[in-house]
Amino acid sequence: MLDLFGIAVRGLLHRKKRSWLTIVGILIGITAVVALVSLGESMQRAVKRSFEELGYDVVMILPGELGGGFGGPGSFSTPFEIDVDALSTVEGVGEIGLLNFQSVYVKAGGKEGFLDALGVSGNIFSFFKVEMVEGRGFTEGERGAAILGREVATELGIGAGGTVLIEDRPFAVVGVYSADSRLDEDAIIIPLADLQELTGTRAVTMVLVRVAPGYDVSETAKRIEDFLRRSRGRRDLSVQTMEEVHEVVQRALGILGAFLGGIAGIALLVGGIGVMNTMYTAVLERTREIGVMKAVGARNSQIALIFLLESGLMGLAGGILGTGIGSSLNFIAVFAAKRALGTGVLEYGISWWLVLGALGFSFLVGAVAGLLPARAAARLDPVEALRYE
Amino acid sequence: MTDDHIVKLEAVWKVYRMGRRRRIEVEALRGVDLGVARGEFLAVTGPSGSGKSTLLHLMGCLDRPTKGRVLFEGEDVSALRATALARIRNRRVGFVFQSFNLSPTLSALGNVELPMIFAGVPRRERLRRARELLARVGLTERERHLPAELSGGEQQRVAIARALANSPDLLLADEPTGNLDSETGRGVLSLLSGSNADGVTVVVVTHDPEVAGIAHRVLRIRDGRIVEDTDA
Repeated sequence: MLDLFGIAVRGLLHRKKRSWLTIVGILIGITAVVALVSLGESMQRAVKRSFEELGYDVVMILPGELGGGFGGPGSFSTPFEIDVDALSTVEGVGEIGLLNFQSVYVKAGGKEGFLDALGVSGNIFSFFKVEMVEGRGFTEGERGAAILGREVATELGIGAGGTVLIEDRPFAVVGVYSADSRLDEDAIIIPLADLQELTGTRAVTMVLVRVAPGYDVSETAKRIEDFLRRSRGRRDLSVQTMEEVHEVVQRALGILGAFLGGIAGIALLVGGIGVMNTMYTAVLERTREIGVMKAVGARNSQIALIFLLESGLMGLAGGILGTGIGSSLNFIAVFAAKRALGTGVLEYGISWWLVLGALGFSFLVGAVAGLLPARAAARLDPVEALRYE
Repeated sequence: MTDDHIVKLEAVWKVYRMGRRRRIEVEALRGVDLGVARGEFLAVTGPSGSGKSTLLHLMGCLDRPTKGRVLFEGEDVSALRATALARIRNRRVGFVFQSFNLSPTLSALGNVELPMIFAGVPRRERLRRARELLARVGLTERERHLPAELSGGEQQRVAIARALANSPDLLLADEPTGNLDSETGRGVLSLLSGSNADGVTVVVVTHDPEVAGIAHRVLRIRDGRIVEDTDA
């Protein structure tokens, strides 16, 4: 078997250019598969980390319905008012964090313009981590303070200790956060009470509830839902556990991954047809040689094995190169996404099963594509093959 | 008497179907009876298309007769499966062709190894045997060369070394000197008669009167029939 392997390798090296071109066909397919599948994995990994950071004991209250598919949670754009004191009386409800997104007019360092402001209740940092590069977070009940995104701080040339004017009211900059916080770096965080005062509304865009220790998360979510429906008289808010949201997002990413994988699979199929074409040509070209091998006593199975190994090796070579290029592409995509979007929407990493799967599959595609040509070679009549010109 | 014969043909017919729909029948052999004795050096002569090569292919178990029987060491070739025939070709028969037919991707050494690879001979033993055979045909210095880097005479010597790799009982050569100049051809012939002296039965298809000169027995074929059978 090992010696037949040697014969197969020599056969490939003998027609180098054609072998390489065929390998490129497989390479493109495998590159696409690996790049797209690992990209999907990177998304899932990043999503998983976000959810783990927030914690699975957290329940979200959002406007609208939690839809299936790509829709996901309702948009942040429809703020709603909520009675926090009444909500806190619901059984199992622990800490409550409030968030509101608004566009505000900011002046500082001789520049001015609109910025996204995130109004937060003082305890919000116990719900999700904000990575500070400078200064500190808010203290309980603090007012008139602001934390800038790194991009904003750089743009305005202001750091902790400086002052910004938001809607013409001065705010003391107490800290600067980075994108590792999963918040865009081009926003500004201020206390919710300040934002509500500035915009003249009591509305929030999201409520986070931590389930008190000892209470079941989904049961508590159900009680919150019942409470909201009773107190509001309509179903304008949806209550989701992190588990549910995570599931919806994973399902969406899964569908996306399968779709992309399918497209990549077509590329691989084309590569496989390329292998088959090359192998048929090789069998035709080497008809006489096959005749000679039979004359010196090669069994049909040995002839078939030589050609199967040749085509499988071409597949494997394409697989090795394609896996390398595909995972590099993923690395570049993750890097580019971090630079362009500023947030950790992707997290690099490639799973061993994807690497092994890609290598195994590429060999398999090569071998399957070589099956018919190898059979044709094995079935050649030795006398006719020897006579072949 | 069968035990004396390494290969025996009994009323053998071979009909080829040619053409696009295989409708044209060509009778290559028409009722040939022939016994090749063990240790014999037999030359087969005759015009082109007389059936010489077909005869050789049948003796070497590369093909089965259309009618009649081919007995290789007393065993009916028609009754054997393809794998069994491959085994006979591998272990008992060595082929030498007019156009050398070396594998272009393998070195001289690799070509000589080939039949032993198919026989499953371990690598170390294979290399030892292949080097010994290349030394015997005077090509020790050329073992790393590809066929394209060898002269015609050298290629044919590699082919003879390959044919002898698994120590066959029967060596079949189809116009082995046909593509060589007469001096190189003589070198090849002396290798063949040397093998015969070592006890290998040799059958040579040839146009070359020199080959017929060193053979024990000369057969003349015409139109698929043996027309002359003379002992030297």
